[in-house]
Amino acid sequence: MNPRSSICPMLSAAAAVFAFAPAAAFAQAVPAAAKVATATSAQVKTAHRTADGQPDLEGVWSTASVTPLERPPDLGAKEFFTKEEAEAYQKKMLAAHEVVAPGTYGDVHYNMAQFGLEKGQTKVAATIRTSLIVGPTGRIPPMLPAAAQRNAARAAALKGHEFDGPENRTLSEQCIMWGSEGPPMTPAAYNSNIQIMQGRGYVAILQEVIHDVRLIPIDGSPHLPANIRQWFGDSRGHWEGETLVVDTTNFTDRSAFHGASENLHVVERFTRQADDRILYQFTLDDPSTWATSWSAELPMSKIDGPIFEYACHEGNYGMRNNLSGARAEEKAAQAAGK
Amino acid sequence: MASSSAWAHHSFAAEFDPNKPVKLKGTVTQMEWINPHSWIHMDVKGPDGAVTSWMIEGGSPNALLRRGFTKASLPVGSEIVVEGYQAKDSSNRANGRDLTFADGRKLFLGSAPNDAPDDKAEK
Repeated sequence: MNPRSSICPMLSAAAAVFAFAPAAAFAQAVPAAAKVATATSAQVKTAHRTADGQPDLEGVWSTASVTPLERPPDLGAKEFFTKEEAEAYQKKMLAAHEVVAPGTYGDVHYNMAQFGLEKGQTKVAATIRTSLIVGPTGRIPPMLPAAAQRNAARAAALKGHEFDGPENRTLSEQCIMWGSEGPPMTPAAYNSNIQIMQGRGYVAILQEVIHDVRLIPIDGSPHLPANIRQWFGDSRGHWEGETLVVDTTNFTDRSAFHGASENLHVVERFTRQADDRILYQFTLDDPSTWATSWSAELPMSKIDGPIFEYACHEGNYGMRNNLSGARAEEKAAQAAGK
Repeated sequence: MASSSAWAHHSFAAEFDPNKPVKLKGTVTQMEWINPHSWIHMDVKGPDGAVTSWMIEGGSPNALLRRGFTKASLPVGSEIVVEGYQAKDSSNRANGRDLTFADGRKLFLGSAPNDAPDDKAEK
């Protein structure tokens, strides 16, 4: 495939395409309480069907968003912008570009705009939400004291040893997983691209970063035994009308989505709202971490494929270089101390 | 906007030294089109005529592919100028902060991020 021909629509949308959903969808999306709004048949076009009659979620989608997961405190209880405010906010966010000063650590990078990695160079599905988290606070519930202590102890154990060896580096640097992969999936800084494929008894979600596939049985089979723990948990799906509902348990305590424990339980809901839009909603509960559950939603926009390979570890010079940089700093410190 | 280091797959701040800025002019010998980051290999001729080989770290190839930039867009022999910072371990590696062709054109096609037109808002 000629990449040039495949990217033309993206080029035309390089400054981002605003794709506001119909007003009816917005009205429906305004919940009275901190609960994910359930898509109704009024929101859903029923024309999208796979060959075997399932609601059709297939295609290549972007989860890119300029909306923060948590609402900025200065917006208080304001859960929704007006349409005009939303447009102004998104225009501002998409126009923003990195500002760094020469000779600072912030400048030690590559130019994001040159590499096509700024938000304004990506298709973003619009929303009038002020945060992806729904409800009056728009924020993750306060962490339970025991959970805060657990996470603080883990951070303290790592402190000063971050560069001792590869196993101490972040999961993304180890090319194991990115925090944005979830579940739940959240917008990544860039390359927020996924492909959904549906087969008999399964839905597969391929994430470009970092090339992981979630293979989700939708055959009514139960979760894995509790003693089997996986990076992405164990996902099982079923259809509720037009909505694919995916229930995930069996996490490890190492992926720790926003400080969660292995008892994290995620319920995701995928609803096709239009040719170019899926409403993606999720609810998290973890009695070992938060006193209450919390929910969020974001629109996914359809983009042109394909998903490109992201063979992370094959080119992971960064790991070696990070460690050699740390060794060089240690030597320099040692020499300075003599 | 957030510090660019927060956007990276790994810590550039641990890898390169802000106190070692470099400006390198040379010819491309190889482009490694790999994730999580592209790497450009180049030969740089010093004032004494001696040639040293450098490796330059850039962004994710996937975004470049989506914008039409392929491995073939930067053939061996291309003359480029790189501004960045050298590796902390003093090896001949640097981050490719800014990459330009010898004639001053930007190397990559990253479109201006701040040209979002108003009339697209309703589409």
